[in-house]
Amino acid sequence: MLEYVFRGLLNGSVYALLALPMTLFFTTAATVDFAIGAYALLAAAVATAVAGPLGIAAGLASAVVASLVMCVIYVLLKRTSKDGIRVALASFGLSLAISSIVLIVWGTKPFVRQTFTTVLEFGGLRVNPQGLLNVAISIALVAATWLVLQRTQLGRMMRAAAVNAPGAELAAIPVIGVQCGALVAGGMLGGTAGLLILHSSGMDFTASLGLTFIGFAAAIIFGIRSPVRCLAGGLGIGVIEALAAGYTSGMVTSMVPSLFMLVVLLSGQLGAGRYSGDRP
Amino acid sequence: MHSIRKGALALLAATAALWTGSAYAQDKPAVKIGAVLSMSGPAAVFGIPERDSLNSLIKEFGSTMDGRKVEFVFCDDKTNPTEASRCVTQLINDDKVVAIIGPGTGSGILAAGPVAQRLQVPLLGPAGTVAITDKGNAFYPWIFRIAPNDTAGMESLWKQIVLKGAKKIAIVYQEDAYGKFGAEFAQKLSKDLGFTIVESIGVPYTATDLTPQVTKFRNAGAEAIFMQLSVPSLGAAFLKAVNEVGLKVPLYANSGLAQKGFIDAAGPLGEGVHVLSIGNVAYDPTPPEQKLVAIMSKNGFKPQGWGDLLAGNGYMTIKAALNKISGPVTGQAMRDTIETLCGFETMSMGKGCFSKDNHDGWAADATVLTTIRGGQFRSDAK
Amino acid sequence: MTWRTSRRRNTWIMLAVAVVACVVAPLKPVWLDTVVLTGILALISLSAGLSFGQAGILSMAQGAFAAIGAYATAVCTTRLGLPAWAGLPLAIALPAVLAWVLARMVTRMPELATALATLALATLLEIVARNWDAVTGGYVGIAGIAPVEGFGVGWRFNILVWTFVVLAVLVYENLMNSAHGRALNIVRHDRTRAMADGIAVAPLLSAMLATSGAMAGAGGWLYAHYITYMSPQSLDTVASISALLMAVVGGVGYILGPVVGTFLLSLLGKLLPAQEAQGLFYGGALIVILVMAPEGLLGWIHRRLERKAAREPAAVATTATEAEHPARTLETAP
Repeated sequence: MLEYVFRGLLNGSVYALLALPMTLFFTTAATVDFAIGAYALLAAAVATAVAGPLGIAAGLASAVVASLVMCVIYVLLKRTSKDGIRVALASFGLSLAISSIVLIVWGTKPFVRQTFTTVLEFGGLRVNPQGLLNVAISIALVAATWLVLQRTQLGRMMRAAAVNAPGAELAAIPVIGVQCGALVAGGMLGGTAGLLILHSSGMDFTASLGLTFIGFAAAIIFGIRSPVRCLAGGLGIGVIEALAAGYTSGMVTSMVPSLFMLVVLLSGQLGAGRYSGDRP
Repeated sequence: MHSIRKGALALLAATAALWTGSAYAQDKPAVKIGAVLSMSGPAAVFGIPERDSLNSLIKEFGSTMDGRKVEFVFCDDKTNPTEASRCVTQLINDDKVVAIIGPGTGSGILAAGPVAQRLQVPLLGPAGTVAITDKGNAFYPWIFRIAPNDTAGMESLWKQIVLKGAKKIAIVYQEDAYGKFGAEFAQKLSKDLGFTIVESIGVPYTATDLTPQVTKFRNAGAEAIFMQLSVPSLGAAFLKAVNEVGLKVPLYANSGLAQKGFIDAAGPLGEGVHVLSIGNVAYDPTPPEQKLVAIMSKNGFKPQGWGDLLAGNGYMTIKAALNKISGPVTGQAMRDTIETLCGFETMSMGKGCFSKDNHDGWAADATVLTTIRGGQFRSDAK
Repeated sequence: MTWRTSRRRNTWIMLAVAVVACVVAPLKPVWLDTVVLTGILALISLSAGLSFGQAGILSMAQGAFAAIGAYATAVCTTRLGLPAWAGLPLAIALPAVLAWVLARMVTRMPELATALATLALATLLEIVARNWDAVTGGYVGIAGIAPVEGFGVGWRFNILVWTFVVLAVLVYENLMNSAHGRALNIVRHDRTRAMADGIAVAPLLSAMLATSGAMAGAGGWLYAHYITYMSPQSLDTVASISALLMAVVGGVGYILGPVVGTFLLSLLGKLLPAQEAQGLFYGGALIVILVMAPEGLLGWIHRRLERKAAREPAAVATTATEAEHPARTLETAP
């Protein structure tokens, strides 16, 4: 059973990276970016096309460019309406568009890259070094995000924008700028997640919405507010999925992320107390 | 080439006929054929190669079959049964097609079947889902399968697995009709052929890591693994997981994975995997298949796998039917004629044969067991 | 009272559109198919508009509710041998009950949370449908569903579909004009105030979601008896999201918004180059529409008319703008 837990932890670390952008953007703008999975897909596609370390840089860059497009859309939307749901729907549209671009340019072939050919062995437990690298990168990024949010000026601005946007504006905090920043950070994190998946199990042109969904689920489980909770959420889902795959049927395994999300949301974790008055 | 010469002769005959008088030319009016394929959505993995193959055949032979002007009209069913039905309705009503190649998915055919029956136009489905040619369907007379169905070749594959000494076998299948059917069919075969299925696990299309499933296989003592998958990235992810968990057993895959995309994604991990293949267009083509490969290469397309082949089957079936029809070409006439076609010229291995009682045009002789060697599907000696 | 100020204005407009649809569509067979499917989709997106526009419950499960309705009638007709009409009550009741139960749990949540919760539910239902071979036929689905007796799948069925749509608009409009509708207006703006006024908020919102579930179920019933085949991929999460999209694009604040949105997006689907570039154009068009018309197409038209009226002499303006006031507008509080 320990083996399943171990494998789940390895997977879950990448889920955490998909969840981080959700937290960041939600805390600063009270809405979500559906296009996270698309950034991951785009980064993986570009990295496959360009060989070597340059490919990784190109992949990340493309994900950032995509999130910049989302920024522009966000700014345009904010001008005409305060409705968060429109941003979410627009990001869904962007996700569709990016997936389509990937299909047009690279077709239906899978995106795969392999850097480590040997497999490490720890007393009966075999692990691809890539898996360990994933965990290390995830933890590092989660820690970095936490540090930025809690200890830096930028982080304070982001939290201020989340709690009280008009007040923040009055305090000369560039709210829209901060929110855009969260989107771009999301692009980078999503792109990184995509690259890690590319080097682990690979993906193909249908992957984007599924990845977004897992990112949501991981972000919400323990509360969407903090990066550390994202990590916990990602690891949690990874472990439960692995245990389900090991002990139950395929049907139950595929139900895990949705079931988690439903249970957590219905128990009122997300925004409990947020909607106790007239103004959100 | 035989078919080009035939086409050229037909063209000559048609031109000669035109000289003799318009009355004769009216006997062979232009004909439209529809193609409903999945060019977006998950099934685009084989839908796009199917479209490319058709396009290369159309480019090669021009728009003439048997002296008749033939126009192909495409519609994307977006891997959605409602769209498939809508596409078929549109092509028949709007474009007045007399036959349709497609839809490419089992559920698409089941959704469009009633439309085909109502509007009296035959569907030539490049899908293996057994249910589409079930005689219990009211629309059975209008559906033809231009592929071997999902059971074809499976028996010989399983016999091979047992022959090589494995008694306890684990199955991984993808969560759709193809996967589930293969896993259940294997259960049926297990009693007859004398093997036990120790584990049978379904995985979703977008699974990112399959190491827990492989671990389960290892713990169950699997002596061989059977992969009922058709999504190349899923197949590659599974191979990676097998490598990581360190399970060293023979691997067998059903025809779904017989695609270039699978070999490319699996890389060196694919060496030694046995794959049942519908033909072997991409790597080890038989003489009839070589014709298709040549045509595709000449027109700038690279053969991918069975998708190309099945579209070719559709094209050749239509060609044979149009050659044989004497009167006006209607959907009904096409259907009646296709039911009489047997042993006609194809660009695949195996014989194409239809009859009133058998709408499954291709059988086990259209499949071949291959092994991946040197990054290619090499056909095993028969 | 002119038709402009009539309280059933939207229903009259819908009736006119429906009559046109029923008369013109049969003239060309390919139009008929499109019009029927558009009608069915309009019904489902009306249900999404009802739950979001009225109850503030952003439901991404309308496709799933429709699927339940479709499977219910499919099982009734193919396995139990009952006539199609017998499947209708079940197709309407099952999703309504499920929606009611769900609503009791989600009414306290902000929009985003309900969206995700309903999306999760829809995904779970799809997985269940794919695996419950005995009832739903699993992945292969249920084929050979008989069409509705006496209506078939031609122009008569078209009339049936549009009758359902007009009825749905009537129900929607009646709801809005009633005490419940006014109560909902208050709930939308200030829930605490509504509770202070003695409005039973949770049961009211649950009733709304149940009604929208019933509407979607009816759409599913029509779908099953038209396509005569039902599978897990027929009305899946993509369909749910599309229904919501159509409602938002048309304008959720307006009763006819979802219908307009359905027409617009169906038209877009037909005009756009298909194949690989499909998603690119659809997603792009979506973004453009969301940016340029934040309250949907009807909202955009409404604002333009308002601005035009504001330029006219005051006396004419007052009566005009009053009459122009359909549903309420969405929250614009900071």
